[in-house]
Parts: sequence; C-alpha cells; structure tokens
Amino acid sequence: MTVAIDSVRAELAALVGPSHVLTDPAARTALAVDGRVPDCAVSPATAEQVAAVLRCASEHRLALIPRGNGTKLSMGNPPRRYDVALSLRELNRVIHYEPADLTISVEAGMTFGDFQVLVGRNGLWLPLDPRGGTESSIGGIIAANAAGPLRQGFGGPRDMVLGLKIATTEGKVVKTGGRVVKNVAGYDLGKLLTGSFGTLGVIVEASLKLFPKPLERATFTMRAGTLGNARDLRRSVLRSPLDPLRLVLLDSPATALLGDSAGAQDAAGVELWIELGGSHRVIERCAFELKQLASAAGAQLARLEAAEGAWERVSNLAHWLQPKYRDLTIVKAALPVAASEEFLSRAQQEAQAERIALASFAQVGVGIVHLCALQETVTDDVRVWVIHLRQAAADLGGTLIVEHCPARLKSVVDVWGAGGDDLGAMRKMKSTWDPNEVLAPGRYLGGI
Amino acid sequence: MRANVRAYADATRFRPKVRSVDHDGGQRYTAREGFGAEVAYVWCPKSVNHPRFFVHSLPFGLAMKSKGLFRELAKIAGDDGVLWRQEDLMLYEYDALSSLRQPDVVVFPRTTEHVVQIAKSAWRHDLPLVARGAGTGLSGGSVATEGGILLVFSRMKQILEIDLENQRARVQPGVVNLDLSLAVADEGYYYAPDPSSQKACTIGGNVAENSGGPHTLAYGVTTNHVLALEVVLPDGDVIHTGARHWDRPGYDLTGVFVGSEGTLGIVTEATVRLTRKAEAVKTLLAIYNQVVDATRTVAAITARGITPAALEMMDGFTLRAVEEATHAGYPMDCAAVLLIEVEGLREAVEEHADDIEAVCRENNAREVRRAKSAEERDLLWKGRKTAFGALGRISPNYYVQDGVIPRTRLPEMLDFIGSIEKKYDLHIGNIFHAGDGNLHPLIMYDERNRQQTACVVKAAKEIILRCVEMGGSITGEHGVGLEKSDLMPLIFSDDDLELMSRIKNLFNPLGRLNPGKLLPTGKMCGELRGGLAGGSPV
Repeated sequence: MTVAIDSVRAELAALVGPSHVLTDPAARTALAVDGRVPDCAVSPATAEQVAAVLRCASEHRLALIPRGNGTKLSMGNPPRRYDVALSLRELNRVIHYEPADLTISVEAGMTFGDFQVLVGRNGLWLPLDPRGGTESSIGGIIAANAAGPLRQGFGGPRDMVLGLKIATTEGKVVKTGGRVVKNVAGYDLGKLLTGSFGTLGVIVEASLKLFPKPLERATFTMRAGTLGNARDLRRSVLRSPLDPLRLVLLDSPATALLGDSAGAQDAAGVELWIELGGSHRVIERCAFELKQLASAAGAQLARLEAAEGAWERVSNLAHWLQPKYRDLTIVKAALPVAASEEFLSRAQQEAQAERIALASFAQVGVGIVHLCALQETVTDDVRVWVIHLRQAAADLGGTLIVEHCPARLKSVVDVWGAGGDDLGAMRKMKSTWDPNEVLAPGRYLGGI
Repeated sequence: MRANVRAYADATRFRPKVRSVDHDGGQRYTAREGFGAEVAYVWCPKSVNHPRFFVHSLPFGLAMKSKGLFRELAKIAGDDGVLWRQEDLMLYEYDALSSLRQPDVVVFPRTTEHVVQIAKSAWRHDLPLVARGAGTGLSGGSVATEGGILLVFSRMKQILEIDLENQRARVQPGVVNLDLSLAVADEGYYYAPDPSSQKACTIGGNVAENSGGPHTLAYGVTTNHVLALEVVLPDGDVIHTGARHWDRPGYDLTGVFVGSEGTLGIVTEATVRLTRKAEAVKTLLAIYNQVVDATRTVAAITARGITPAALEMMDGFTLRAVEEATHAGYPMDCAAVLLIEVEGLREAVEEHADDIEAVCRENNAREVRRAKSAEERDLLWKGRKTAFGALGRISPNYYVQDGVIPRTRLPEMLDFIGSIEKKYDLHIGNIFHAGDGNLHPLIMYDERNRQQTACVVKAAKEIILRCVEMGGSITGEHGVGLEKSDLMPLIFSDDDLELMSRIKNLFNPLGRLNPGKLLPTGKMCGELRGGLAGGSPV
C-alpha cells in the first residue's frame, strides 16, 4: 500500500459508509486469499458505490479482489498484491423479472441458492451446478464461468448471459448486451467478462436467460468396469437419441467416496452416471434405451434414487473433499471429448508412479476431467505429477489447470499453465480495462 | 498523409462536373485534373431527401501509385485474384443493404498467408481493409464505405477438418453455411445456426455478424457454436483464440471477435460445433383470424414450459405474397400463422406438439396443421426462408427492420406497427422470429415516390424507438453495420460506447479495418445512414 492505511480506510468509509468497511483482524483474516490478508474489506450497497471504490483504488494504486461468497477464490495464482477485499454480497436485489419472457436481471451478489428458489416458483431454473453450489453468487459464477456436469445438457454461463453491468476501474458503470434473448448490438463484452476472474472489471448486475425445469429427472448408473468399456459406452450414449443432462465417469475411488453417502453400488471399477430429464414417458423411454446400450456392452445398469445429494458433491468437489483431506489438490483437464478416457488412463499411471491416491470425476461428454489428489500433506510428488499431467493434456490437444490446492503448491506450479499466441492480446485487454493493475493483480493466466 | 476529394472540395469550394448518373441517382463527378483521385463520387440517391457526400476517398496520390498497388496485390493473390476495373468493382459496391460505395480494389485470397500479406500491404499504404463473404448481410457490414481493399473470401471455402466424435469442424471463412450442414448430414449432424440466406452466406460472414436464424430459439446464435478462431490483425499478426475443447484458460477473445463485424480482425479459420440431428421433428402450422391471438400464443407456449426449436410468425399480408411465390399451401384468407417446430426424442416431440396445439387452440387458432412428411415440412420452411424475396415480387422496394423486444410485448408491438402503418399510409409485412421477440417488419415502398420514401425512414425509426422503450434492442441478428451505427446511442451510454471504441482501438488502432461500421462515427449525415434496402436478399 502506497498511502497510509488509515487515510485510505477513511476515504473508503466516506464512499460506502463506515459500517461497510471492515478493519478488524479476525474479519480480514477470514478474507485471506492464498494466505494474503487484505488491509480492509468494503461492502458497497450499490453499483455506483462499487465504481467509486474502484476509482479510489485505482487512484491510490491499491490492489483489490472482488468476491461474492468466496467459493471459488482458491482458483488462481497467489495475488501479487492484495489491499482491499471488495464484497458484493450487499448487491443482491432483483432488478427485473418477467417469468414469461424467461429472462431475469439481478445484482451480482445474489446467492445462487436464493436465485434458484426465486425462479423455481415459476417452474424455471438456471441449469447450472457450479462449484460452490447454492452458496455461490451469480457474479462469481459468471466471473469464473463456472459450470458443473449440467454443462452436458445446457452449456455454461457463457451461453446464458444476456447482458452485464460492469463497474470499471475508471469509476464508471458500463453496460454490455441487454435484457432480451437475442441481441447483436455492439461488441459482446459479456463474453469477455465471463470467465475473466474479476481481473477486468467488477460485474455488478447480470441479465440471464432462464429455462423451464424438466418435469422429472432420473439418474442411472452403468457399471462399465474398465476405462475402455466406459469409452465405448460414452460413444454409444452420445450417438444415441438420448440427450443427457449430465454424464459423468467415476473411477473406483470416486464411487467409493460417494458410496459412503449416496448409497451407490459397491466400488467395482469405473461407472458412468447419466442423468436424463423430461416427462415420465420420456424417462421410461430413456431407461429402455440405456438398458439396450448397457446390455450390448455387458454393463450393469441401475437407477439411482435420491441422486441429487450425490450430484451436489460431484459438482462441488473442493467443498466436499477438503474437510477430509487437508492438502486436497484438484486439477481440471479440458480436452477434446474423444480424449477423456485416454487422459484418465495416463493420469492413473502417473498417480501410481508418484504414489498419489487419486479419485477421478470426468464429464466425459464435454471433455472435462477432474482429478482429486487425496492428500493429507502435499509433497513434491504432486508438483511432478501436475507437470506430467499438463504435458499429457497438451499431447491430447487439451489444457490443464490446478483448480484447488494448498497455497504452498502455487509457489512451485503455475495454476493456469502457459498461454497461446493470443496472450499478448489478452495483456493488452487487461491494460485497457485496468491500467493501474487494481483488480486481482497476478491471479490470472500469464500473471495478468 | 491523407487527403481526399471531399476535403479538397470543402477547402477549395471546387465543384466538379457531373460525369455520369447511377441507377440509384448517385452522381459521379470528374475530379479536377491533376488531383490525386480519378473520380469523385457524390451519392445523391433519389430515395433520400438530402444528398450525401460520399466521395471516392483514394488517398492523395494513390491514383499515381495505384498500378503499383495492384501489382503488389497480384503478386500475393495471383493475377486472377485481383479486380480493379470499374465494371468489376461495381459488383462489390453493395451488399443486401443497398448502400453504394466501391472499393478501390478487390482481392481474393486463397490462404491465411495471403491475408497476412494483403493486410500488411493495406497497413503500409494506409488503406481501408474490408472483409466480405457472400455479401448477403442486411446492415451494410461488407460495404467498403471508405474505399480501399475489399477482401472477398470466395476462394477460401474449404472444410479443413470434420471431427464427428468431438462434434467439431474446422473451416475456412468462405465456406457456405448450408454446405457445412450438407457435408455432415449423412452422418446425422448439422451446423445449427441457420440464417435465411444459408444457401449463400458464409461462415466467415456469420461469425462477423453473429448471425441468427429461425432455429436459434432453441440452439443459440453463431456465438454459441464458434469455439476457436484464427484471426489476422490489421498489422498482419496472426492469433489463435479459443480452443476446440471447453474452458481454455484466458479471456474469451473468440466471444469478442464473433459479432465484431470485421472491425477487430479478419477471421481466416473457424472451429465450430456440429449438432446431432434430433430423433424426431414435428412442424406445426397454426392459423389465426386475428393477429393478436397469434402473438398471445407465443408467450403462452413458453409459459407452458416448452421451448420449441423454432417459433415463427407471418402475417396475412406476407403470407399471401409467399403463397403466390412458393405454393407451400399456406392459407390465403387468414390474419396470421405461426410456424412452430419441436425436436427431440420421439415421445417428447409428440407430447410437446400436443401441448402446443392445445395452447394454440386456447388462443383461438382456427386450425392447427401438422406437416405429414419431410417434403411438407421443407415446403413450409421454403416459404418462410424465401419470404423476403416473395415480397420483392409485389413491391419495388422494401426496408427490413431488425428489432428485438421481450416476447411478452409482442401483442402490443404488433398493434403499434399497425398504427404506424396507418399513420404513414404504408404497407408493412410482419414475418419474424416470434419465439425470441425478434421482429422483422418489412416496409414496402417505391423509391420513385419521394414522399413515401421519407415516410419509410420515419416509420422505421419509430418502430425501433418503440423496441428500445420496451427494453429491447436495435438489432437481433442483422448487425449494426453501416445501417445502425448512429442508433447505438439509443441503447448505449457515452461511457459504454467509449469503452467499445477503446476495445476497437486495441486491435484496430488506425481504424482502417472496416471503417464506418458498428460504432457511431458522428461524421455522416442522414437519418438512417446507408439508406434503404431495395431488391431482395437471398
């Protein structure tokens, strides 16, 4: 911090009101990011206040990390600097909601849980199961472009954002897109901000596309046994007329972990979990199709009752497993769909070589593979493992990030990996939006 | 150092002599001897009240250098890859928005490397560089408003790779939209965005305009189907954005380039998603005696929790024109029809079709027909997709608007359009993507009738203003282009626009890439710049 802390705190208090600035050590420690504790925390109540705080931070060259509920803040490199925690929790109003239009505009701090309850009253939902679950904020979900297994059926936040209001480091509130479902006026900066991890501007309001909830949902498990069988089953499911909402491959340790709580089948090799939605008749037809596919592959098929709890765990791995494994490390590979199983097999070999206990959860229909290293204490083996895995992902045409890990692993591993030939354009983008490096400096790709 | 005839004319009050008059009333002037440009061009079409001063903006001295430039470009793209004669350039002076402005030279690159070399050449000569696919755009996006080099992608039309297991295709920008779908049709896949011009328009143009189409209701517009791009920047740098897989770390530059209307970079390759064909599809035609019943049905269908694959509306006036042209079997005596399509699993499609039929009847549909065969379905769609052309048969000119409103406001909006029709004594056809509230009022006129033409401009503007008041947008799928850049302040603040122009400067610092598009220039006159559409887009 280049200016006296007290004078900055006073200036922030003047902008948002003294009761919206937290300075006591316990509260600040709770807002630490990768072990760095901010000097204060501010909770503005309006979009304009957010913009004013950003301008103030920019003038004083302070570093600020925006947060909703902090459920995804373990993603990213350690911040180069961190002075102010900017909480958006007080921005939680509904700005505009017309159920029949299937659109809604809400402030960014609204929790995903509250949001789903609100639109659920009209039989609608935002078909996402992001990391952080109901605790996530809408703004955080968009900033992290956080999609879980439901991406199989509905795509990710990128496909659901109609428009955004963004507070900039210049102290302005700008708008991109709009409230209607179809709109091509102007550059689509909503896409740019989606998945920008709070490094360009602060999302203060979002207009989103809503979807009617399926009448019923059902989850089926197929016991594939081996990765090879699982690959064949994945292919036949994706070539069938079925349109799964979620499609996840779990290895034995993963099913065993879930088995404790979900009453799943005994851990016996690889399983595919498939969720389908529709009317009762449609689900019956799906079950019939799956039966055909399973018996052709010699795989055992079962319907999993009360699967929602298990799905919540699978989409919120860090939250679920962290209490069990102190130094839990989760890597996420994003791959061409066809390479998912091949990558899993390489990852298992590497884990064996490094003696790492591994549980794998792979969204094989969209090529997203989560590998959880179930560690009590992180060792250098994990670093080597990550490096090898990143190479394996690259060989298969994909990328790999470390999604969750102890802060000390981040000092030896770049969580994002290397950028491509568009990294220069990304850096320019960053300096256009945030020339004074106010927003989450150093946390994103290439040290952006 | 740039000077052009206009600046010269303004400064010297030089008034050149008329050399020729174009079919639209644009007049060509011969510039003063010894001046850098060969021809000055004042566009003064009869369809617009006040003349616009579009002047051939050959940079000063380019006429002298131009032969050198042509040689340079011919060296890159081959002798048969460059057009520069007046009669050739005339073919490239308009797209589906008839705004006339000739490029100085047209080049047909065959490779990314050609585009790089051409971009560098344009950069060196400080010339505008404009990319063009098939020229079917409705907002004037590919008109070379300031002359310069027009890059036409008709020789980069290879499908480079089809990867069915990953449901991806990698294509050059000149690939025709429908050709991609046809290439994978036998395997049971297709490329989902389906603009009405899909038989002619190119993927590159679709990417630039973020094109939509009837089936975007369920499947999304172009941006939801483009995963990665190869882009040549104005200085000749090549970057690769996105990836064929999800979640590549970094900013979503692909999302920014899609819909940037050729103002940020030139796309030389795109990786797009292929969609698996649904098991079953049902196409319904609901027939109404009152327009308001049809528009009420639209929101009622979504309120029932059904998202059709497509939900289109045509009013009686349009329908009769379409029927006379296509003989698709549309009723001649109704006030409106809804063309509704549902796709998916056989059981789901049956249930949805039954539900939709019930909703239509609850909303006073006189009749609900279902297409009995693929041929019947194709015929119904042919009618819809060629409707603009059909209207060209009954009116010398028409102007298509492209506004968006929340779908629940459709009944109110159609009433409003009716009142505008009366107010200005015009015929307005309504044929549009009702399911997403994307209106396409088609205003008929005769450009020879100056008074009527002036009314068209006013009527179009009133409609678009009403869209904005209802919380909608000035364009749903045709793009801002040349046509609507001056309307951008209706929905964006100065701060919003200033940020967009900074983004533009970041990639296109000299503004030589597709100048005069997307962002308001504040330099040109005319209420609806770019004038009015005429003829029929494909």
